[in-house]
Formats: sequence, C-alpha cells, structure tokens
Amino acid sequence: MTRVLLDPTNERTVLQRSLLPRPVSLQGRTVGLLDISKPRGDVFLDRIEQRLTDLGVKVLRYKKPTFAKPAPVDLRHEIATQCELVIEALAD
Amino acid sequence: MFVASSQFVDAAIAQSRSLGFPTVARVFTPHPIQDRTDEEMVAYADTALDEIIATLTAT
Amino acid sequence: MIVKEDCETCKMVAPLLTEFDATVYTQDDPTFPAGVEAIHDADLWVSWHHDIETVPTLIRVVDGREVERTVGWLRSDWQRITGIETLGSDLPPMRPGCGSMSVDPNLVDSLRAKFGGGVLRSRRLELADLDDEMEVLFERGVTDGLPVTPPTEQRVLRMLEGTTRAADEVVAVVAPDLVEVTVEKIAVNSVMAGCLPEHLPWVIAALEAVCTDEFNIHGVLATTMPVGPVLICNGPGTRAIGMNSGVNVFGQGHRANLTIGRAVQLVVRNIGGGRPGEVDRAAHGNPGKVSFCFAEHEVGSPFTSLAVSRGFGADDDTVTVFAGEGPRCIVDQLARDADQLANTFAACLRTAHHPKLVIGFDCMLVVGPEHGRVFAEAGWDRDRLLGELHARLQIHGSELVRGADDMAEGVPDWLAGETLGKFRADGLLLAHAGGGAGLFSAIIGGWANGSTGSKPVTRKVVR
Repeated sequence: MTRVLLDPTNERTVLQRSLLPRPVSLQGRTVGLLDISKPRGDVFLDRIEQRLTDLGVKVLRYKKPTFAKPAPVDLRHEIATQCELVIEALAD
Repeated sequence: MFVASSQFVDAAIAQSRSLGFPTVARVFTPHPIQDRTDEEMVAYADTALDEIIATLTAT
Repeated sequence: MIVKEDCETCKMVAPLLTEFDATVYTQDDPTFPAGVEAIHDADLWVSWHHDIETVPTLIRVVDGREVERTVGWLRSDWQRITGIETLGSDLPPMRPGCGSMSVDPNLVDSLRAKFGGGVLRSRRLELADLDDEMEVLFERGVTDGLPVTPPTEQRVLRMLEGTTRAADEVVAVVAPDLVEVTVEKIAVNSVMAGCLPEHLPWVIAALEAVCTDEFNIHGVLATTMPVGPVLICNGPGTRAIGMNSGVNVFGQGHRANLTIGRAVQLVVRNIGGGRPGEVDRAAHGNPGKVSFCFAEHEVGSPFTSLAVSRGFGADDDTVTVFAGEGPRCIVDQLARDADQLANTFAACLRTAHHPKLVIGFDCMLVVGPEHGRVFAEAGWDRDRLLGELHARLQIHGSELVRGADDMAEGVPDWLAGETLGKFRADGLLLAHAGGGAGLFSAIIGGWANGSTGSKPVTRKVVR
C-alpha cells in the first residue's frame, strides 16, 4: 500500500543528501570493499582488491552478515571511520 | 559507490532518488552473476575497474 | 431529501414522500424508501457536499440553490417547507433523526481525504513499502532532532479544519529564504509538531508576528547569541485550549504549549530555511529553541495582561513574540514588602547579559504569583512596578565603562559621566505566570533592539 506524506518544506530544493568531494586519485588512499554476501561477489572483490593494491591503494575488506538487510550500524560506522572511499558489490 | 549487475539499473535509479541520493556513484556489470566461473568473474572485475576508479575520483 | 434505511425516523417519514415532490438520496439501502425512486448516495458524495449531519434532512431548493432545511422530523418545519399544511398530521409533532453516514467517525477521515484532498497542493512524498515513515522524515532533514508526526493527507486535512482560512492563503513571507508560507504548509508543519486543529490559529498568528520586519527573524536566527522566538499568549482562548500558565509553565507536559511553539520553529526551519549550522549561528542556543510558548496567568493577576498593555482587549486572543534566551530564576523568599522585592528584581535585572551592558538589549520579567501578591498588597500595578524598576536601574557611567572593575566589556569611555538606564524606556516587558507556590520570578534575557535588532510583536488570533 503506498503511503503518502506531504512535503513540509518550501520545495525549492530536492530533499537530497550531499556528496563528499571526490579525490583526484586513489594513490595512497584507503578504500573499503564491502561484500554484500551474494554468491560470486567475493571472487569479484578479490580481483578488485588485487588490482587496486597493485596500483598503490590500501584496501580493507568488509562483509555484510546478509544481503537481505541494510548493513548494520556498527559495520557502517566501522567503514566510515576506517576508509575514505567504499566500493559495495555485487548486487544482482 | 556500488557495483551491481545490469538488472539493477532501474531499481538503482528509483531507490537512490527516494533515499535523496540520486547521483550516487554506480557501475554496472553484465548479468547474470550467480552461474559465472571464477575466470569470468575476474574478467568482469578487470573490465569494471577503470570505470570504478573513474567514478571514485574527481574528473 | 437525504435518508438512510437504518434510521427509525427515516422509516417513519418515508410514507410522506408520496405526498410531495422530492429528489431522495439514500445513503445505505437503495431499495429504501419503498415506492420512491431514490438515488443511492453510495460514496456519500452528495451527503458530504451538502454537509448532512443528520438523517432525514429535508432541503428546499429554489433555482438550484438551498433556501432552507430541517433535520430530523419536526412537523411544523416539514409542513412549512413543503407547503402542505396537513403533512404528517397523524405523526408525533417531533422525533429526532439519526447520525448521517457522512459524519460516521469511522468514515469521516477517509471521506475528507477523498473529497477534500484536492485542496492540498504540497508536493507528495511517496514512501517505499519498507520505509519507516519516522526515519524517512529524519533522513530528509525536516525534524528538529525529535521525531515528528508523519504529515499524511488525512492528518493535514483534519488540521485545516482548525481554521476558516483557505488552505492556499498566504500567511507570511519567511526569512531567510524569503518564501511565502501558506495555511496549508503551516498545517503540515503543525501536524508534524503534534498540534491539534484548535492550535492552528495560534501557530498562524505567531508566524504572522515572527515574520514582520520589526521582529526580524533573520537577525534572530543569524545572531551568535542564544535567542529564539518566545511566544507569550493571552486571552480566554488560552484557557479554552488548555495552555499552561501555572505550575512548570516553562517546562514540559502541556501539549498546547509545546506543540504550538514547536510548529513555529519547524516552519522557520522547513519553509524559511533557518537551520542550525547554516543561517542559524547561535554559539550555544537554548532549549527554548525547540519550543518556548506559554500563557500569561491572567485570572487573579495583580497586573493588566501583556496584551492589554500593548493595546489589545482583555477578551482578545493574542500571541506576542519576543526574541529571548532561556529563563533565569530570581529567588527572593524573604522580602517583606514591595520595595524590598523591587530591589531584588533590580539587582538581578542589572546582570542580564552583563552587569555593564545597558540599553542595547531588551528583557522580559516573568513575575510568579507569590511575588505578584507582594506587589498587589502594596497596590502596585504594572506601570508602577515597571516605573520602580526603571528608577532602580539608573546607573552611573563610571561603573559601566570598558575596563571598569577590570572587566573589558562595557560602554564607551565618553559615557563615563552620564547616567544610563539598564533598559530603554520600552525595553522591559512584564508578564505574570508560574505556579502558585514558590517565591520566585524569572528573567528572560532578550536580544538587541534598535534598527538591526528585534522588537516584540503582537498579533491577534483569528480562527
């Protein structure tokens, strides 16, 4: 059943979240790879990790307990404090 | 950013809009995924890598 | 004529329908009344748009317009309206009707949304099935940090019943974004704040006051000082809606106080764009910036009300907005007479913001009832008390100049020889509120007055 709410704002801006600025290059950056735990995603991410490490990127690996629910708060906080960028994969 | 198979294109557009993040970075791989061999997954990763890096860095 | 089968009075009058010409609408059973070609008002569109509260309702229509109506069975009315002098002469003279289905509490909200919904112009936010509506509103940045009541169409329509003003009527232009705010948008934010429909006219009046050039909400927001709008309400309407003027008057517990104040702040945020860390630069702020709204304790007060002192009638419902910080307590449990108590008040008022800063800031003094009694016994009314306080707050410039008492703050050197009042002539406001037990009063420090500052503003509440 669709639930509908009325917008309380002045409707001038789309109620949007802002993005952080992008770095110029990944060199020396810490990138987190978050495996959402769907099959084969780990193989994909293993290869990404290998290629990024070769390029001088520091890679940290994480895994969601299940693909069926959003990532738990603790995991999100851990990633947010330990990494500068995150690649989340692989949804199919 | 997220990586998803091509099945996800429309869903990603809708969900990212409704979460207030319509421009969230994304890269798509071919579909399906679940029956691919290891060699095929590695090939997908190699193909996707350039686009992933481009998406993560400023242009 | 509108009837329903499930009504003994409708059944009683049904046979009369053969005696005169009427378009008959039946709310429930299309075969009722027997012998008459009734129209089935299945979706209650007709009943809703004719404001039918009781069945049977008999309406006389001339040239397509309603001329008169009667509800239930009152023989004299029916005879007059139909022009048939002997109509129903064998029936009892009167019999009450039954509730119309269009006012059935189980149906009203959905009927209002169905028939009244077209009136709402706000952008709609559609929630996905898995969305938690409380969390969505947090994520969209439209709350004050506390959960808000999700503004559904039904809730907003119900809220709009609290005013006779049209939903699309523009009430004010809200800084800093300088956007027009309609009655509808105020209703949406009032739902979120937790208001009842009867609170809406108070929120509207407060916003009319807040959005004036004199109150200067832009300045009040942008300042690094801790102030926010403080709402002081007057009039019998405050008692009608249960607004608190007594025990714990600045605190929690009373819906009218908390939600009206909160709704005003939500509009400032969501329509005006005034958000902490953006245009709102307050270094510390104060808890009253979530909501600070109270009623003056008028019954038994020794003083004329704030509204009356500002030119309104004792029976007018008003909101006065004042740019204020959090309240500070004045303790005096020993003063034996009005002069002694006034000395205490003056000594405490002297230190509002800084003992050496004068004239530039306004202040509100809230006298508690036990302190009020001390002044009443001495025969001091509002003007007398204010005069006595101003007289005690004439300070020699030598005490106030920068560097005096080794405090850097103060007034410029060249005022060293002058005598300066702590407050400008109109700069001290007086209200009477608080619980009946406790020898305390309160000071609510204000903000800058003058052309770049803020002035208190009062507006009448109109339903």
